Amino acid sequence: MEIDKEKCVGCGNCHVICTMGAIYLGEDGRSEVNQEECVECSTCYRVLRNEEYMPWFVRGLRKILSFFRLGYLAEVDVCPTGALTPPELQWPRSLRSNFSDPVAIHPGTGLGGRGTEEIKSNDVTGRIGKGEAGVVVEMGRPGIGAYFRDLEKVTIALSGLQPLFEPKNPVTLLIKDQKTGKLKEDILNEKVLSAIIEMKVPLEKIPEILKTLEVVQKEIDTVFSVGISSRCLPDGSLPHEEWVRKAGYILSPNGKTNIGLGRPRFKED
Amino acid sequence: MTNTLHRRGTPESLKNDYVIFCTLAKGVNSEGSTPKIKEFIRICLKYNPVNMGDGRHGNILQDDVDVQKLLAQKGDGEGAGAVFNDLETLQKVIDDLIKADLGVSINISGLLGDVQSCCRKVGMERHSAEHSLGIWGAKDRLPEREILEVNTLCGHGMVSFNLIRKMVEYVKLGRLTAKEAAKTMAKCCECGVFNPVRAEKLLEKMVKIE
Repeated sequence: MEIDKEKCVGCGNCHVICTMGAIYLGEDGRSEVNQEECVECSTCYRVLRNEEYMPWFVRGLRKILSFFRLGYLAEVDVCPTGALTPPELQWPRSLRSNFSDPVAIHPGTGLGGRGTEEIKSNDVTGRIGKGEAGVVVEMGRPGIGAYFRDLEKVTIALSGLQPLFEPKNPVTLLIKDQKTGKLKEDILNEKVLSAIIEMKVPLEKIPEILKTLEVVQKEIDTVFSVGISSRCLPDGSLPHEEWVRKAGYILSPNGKTNIGLGRPRFKED
Repeated sequence: MTNTLHRRGTPESLKNDYVIFCTLAKGVNSEGSTPKIKEFIRICLKYNPVNMGDGRHGNILQDDVDVQKLLAQKGDGEGAGAVFNDLETLQKVIDDLIKADLGVSINISGLLGDVQSCCRKVGMERHSAEHSLGIWGAKDRLPEREILEVNTLCGHGMVSFNLIRKMVEYVKLGRLTAKEAAKTMAKCCECGVFNPVRAEKLLEKMVKIE
């Protein structure tokens, strides 16, 4: 994101709305963006209504009010002068927006958002079948963001277990070599709000996957959230639960359920 | 709305937070799906969701989004989500969706046991399910638990930690009510999976603690 200094009146509303805390007040009293930290999610641009006031009017009003020892406080969800300006992004910086802006359609997948349909369409596609587990590792979530150089440490560690990285996932498309888990070099210093490593493994590999994540988590400078899914057995039980518990991890009481109302478009074994 | 499964909170507070969404499989059943998505939205609207929307058109708590307009603008393959505060209403939505027989995937984020009970009440077993194994890595970089509970109400994490803190401060100062502050935060969550009622309660709790 860029801020038009001619328009900015330094109200600070964009500072708090910024998902990465990347906007600050410059020495000239107008807002600036730390381009290294900005993930191009465009939340500031989308959420803050442009009130279209003339900058000279707001600045003048402030001066008058300060004369009477009064302050000017804009409503929290406005940009009084429309100073936020989304730039045209070039590769590899465009990746920031592709992964961080939920409104952007990812060019690699043709879908909005950061991942794929995962189990959300499993009743229709049969993507996760019997004896399999879907594993998602969402790097940078919650709220910290992740550089691809940190993400690569995780893909390298996981690649040793030879999971099937989901071919339609946008992170998989950035893996240069699935055997090593290495990513394309030119993207490593790009930062995103979050990115999802998505894979499928046989159920019995769950303990090894979790053990690997346990080790690699100490090598990275961000957080990640882990999700595990499977196709239910005829009695509605979840085969992955036993493997996760056996490995010594606690399952959340909440989660996502595909209730099975989709008409199958695949042949089940 | 990808990771509504990572919503955090005690089982007690999660009891009032269910997100239901319809998903189309791109290139499989997305073509010609517009009438089905619209019917899904109509069914949800009948039961007054506390929030609703999708990643393309925004959510109904945003100033420029009108429900009827949202409905009219829907196109093939564009899923939608709605948030409900209680299990009884969710059960009614599920019953109506079964009757409508749309043939599209329906997912629910919430307490897994409760959702399973809803399925069993209508003689169904769930198809697939996903658990969260929580947060890993540099957890020392995270803010306090209450802030995370609000932040994870948005599946894409668009409600910043700083905004949540600011809203707590504004409620404390009386500049906004907890309800207004929750609505302001909900505007950041494009897909409409942010639960403003749960956020309001969390804000009230945080104001009392501070």
